[in-house]
Amino acid sequence: MRRRRRLLWQLYPSYLLIITLSLGAIGWYAADAARQMTLDNSARALQAEAVLFRLLIADKLTSQAFQEIDTLCKQIGASISTRVTVALANGRVVGDSDFDPTRLETFALRPEIKEALHARVGIVRRHSFTMNSDLLFVAVPVEQSGAVTAAVRMGKRVEEVMERSGSVAFAMGLGAVVIVILGAGFGFYVARLVNKPLLELKTGAEKYARGDLKYRLRTDASEEIDGLAEAMNIMAAQLDERVQTIANQRNELEAVLSDMVEAVLALDNEARIIRINRAAEELFGIKGELARGRPVGEAIRTTELKRFVNKALAAAEQVEAEIVVLGAPDRHLQAHGTPLNDSGGDRIGVLVVLNDITRMKNLEKMRRDFVANVSHELRTPITSIQGFLETLKEGAIHDPENAERFLDIMIKHTNRLSMIIEDLLSLSRIEQEREKGGIALKEASVKDALIAAIKTCGGKASEKEITLSLACPEHLKATINSTLLEQAAANLVDNAIKFSDPGETVILEAELIGGDVLIRVIDHGCGIAREHLDRIFERFYRVDKSRSSKEGGAGLGLAIVKHIANAHGGRVSVQSSHGEGSAFIIHLPA
Amino acid sequence: MRMRLQRDIDGLTSGIISLGALVEERLRMAVKAIECRDMGLADQVIEGDIEIDRQEVDIEEEGLKILALHQPVADQLRYIIAIVKMNNDLERIGDLAVNVAERAKLLGEASAVQMPFDFFTMCEKVQEMLQKSLDSLVNMNADLAYDICAEDDDVDMMKSMMQEQFLDKARRDPENLEPLVHLLIVSRHLERIADHATNIAEDVIYMVTGRIHRHKGARP
Repeated sequence: MRRRRRLLWQLYPSYLLIITLSLGAIGWYAADAARQMTLDNSARALQAEAVLFRLLIADKLTSQAFQEIDTLCKQIGASISTRVTVALANGRVVGDSDFDPTRLETFALRPEIKEALHARVGIVRRHSFTMNSDLLFVAVPVEQSGAVTAAVRMGKRVEEVMERSGSVAFAMGLGAVVIVILGAGFGFYVARLVNKPLLELKTGAEKYARGDLKYRLRTDASEEIDGLAEAMNIMAAQLDERVQTIANQRNELEAVLSDMVEAVLALDNEARIIRINRAAEELFGIKGELARGRPVGEAIRTTELKRFVNKALAAAEQVEAEIVVLGAPDRHLQAHGTPLNDSGGDRIGVLVVLNDITRMKNLEKMRRDFVANVSHELRTPITSIQGFLETLKEGAIHDPENAERFLDIMIKHTNRLSMIIEDLLSLSRIEQEREKGGIALKEASVKDALIAAIKTCGGKASEKEITLSLACPEHLKATINSTLLEQAAANLVDNAIKFSDPGETVILEAELIGGDVLIRVIDHGCGIAREHLDRIFERFYRVDKSRSSKEGGAGLGLAIVKHIANAHGGRVSVQSSHGEGSAFIIHLPA
Repeated sequence: MRMRLQRDIDGLTSGIISLGALVEERLRMAVKAIECRDMGLADQVIEGDIEIDRQEVDIEEEGLKILALHQPVADQLRYIIAIVKMNNDLERIGDLAVNVAERAKLLGEASAVQMPFDFFTMCEKVQEMLQKSLDSLVNMNADLAYDICAEDDDVDMMKSMMQEQFLDKARRDPENLEPLVHLLIVSRHLERIADHATNIAEDVIYMVTGRIHRHKGARP
């Protein structure tokens, strides 16, 4: 690129050039005029001298006293340092200040003499060969009774004449140099004066370009520059305002976007991530600043999401799908893909909004399982009751031995049905009362409730030769509903007995940890496999489908425990490893 | 021409990462199939192997095409070679995931067996290694790749520990031999998957540093 010159160095030389050129032109013209004037003046002076001299010699010419004329010429010529010549009408020289007239040839052909002989004043500047230099000659005619009888010529060296005009030219030249120097200085000053506000404008514009829109220009220069500065100030103020507005809007959007529960991904047409909100970062465990600009398949390695994005990018309309992100735990997402268009209506990408519906999915599954389970649990006893009733009716009733046995089985199943319904009712009762806030909680001894629970289960324990041990601080009190807590503890102990082998011990203990009351039921039975741990508190959930009906439970015990714990504002948890036994813990908050 | 090459390489990268994501998911599904005794999931893994094979062939052809067409040099050549190698490893992991899924089906049919304590820890560890090796590829992070190489020893150790446990259990409980054998085989597959994940990590080191890390100890 061509190096740019500063404005100062563009303006200043032109100033100098203008000054020098104009001064030169004027000087040249003035010098020329002065020289011309000097020549004219000298010619006029010579003419006057010639006229005077003509008077001096007029009578001498008449008397033909040529010798006297010549002497006079020599005297006067020497005194005024002028060549004085007198020539007759025929061109013969009769007097000359510098030479002997007799030795000079005819002067009839000299232009000035020729003019004078024609009764005019002859003024000629020419080279004189007799003097061998430039001379100014003025010749005047001498007339006697109307006829030109002679010519008087005065000649002066041009050098002599010009000597004076040379000193004038020198003075003028000196003046010109002084003016040029002064003009140069002034020109520099003016150029600076023009340049300075421009520099100020430049600084201002640079600051604006860097984003410093608060800066204001202050100039004190010409109207145009001031106007420009003012316009720039207004522009900066408006820009500042717009930038502020945009920043505010952006911040608002940012806040809305980052506080959204839904994960939001904005992708361009190549599926690169433009924006990603906090929910999405958390959902996929990635960092937004690292993910930005990357293809979605690289940043988030989920095949289904990538497939969905490709589908959304290809579609012109909004697309919707359910996708599953595998992981621990799996997450079900409801995905919406909406085309993103710029202000011109051109497609610039796609906006993907992901809604985590894992919880909903789980609830849905739970409800489905519940319905299936409850039907199954109720149908099994009813089917066998039905079967036995039909057998009785078809004649078995007359066989007392078998009829007795059938009736016993039917009673067992009826009890089971009634137990299931009882459990369901107590569940819904707890739920309802809790909703109404009607569960009465009061300060009571935890130990009493636990002792009651152990009494309830004592029969079953001794049947299976299982030892029940209780460890509870004597004065441990908590805000509880004794009846419900007793039921919860009894359910847990009952479960523990069911899954323990004969001869083992079931431990029931309670303690106060950090203000919370923890009630633990520990057994050393078969334990629960990991995959079931999350779900055993669901109604009718069965760890082992074939086992439970033998043991007589309906799969509601733990659900009831959970509800009771919830009704106390607490929760229930389980720790278990397969084959080593389980520990169920009821946490009651202080 | 240079731009074309870079674009083709970007396409290759996106292909390998997409294959990686697919394989990662398949492995997760196969392990889950064992955990939840979910036959449907196992079937999905087995049937989905065709997709992995197809992608593997695509990537290999694409890689060879770039090599033949552009004759890249220096780091680009290194990059493509590493991707072609990784491609192979990923396909193998996909096959092993299918094997695991097949065992999951057999396990589902057999009687429920008490899982050895370390089994799921090992599953998680292997899945984590695969995930990390893909992360190191995506981010071209050699440090992470070195970590994975170190972790492989842990998995090997876990496997031998588990073998002892299996032997012990088999002696005590010979009736449940069948599911135990399946689990033993699964643990072997997992160990092989960890080895392939390590290979991928080594290829990432090769991509980034140009150094061949195989058969070496600690990082330089």
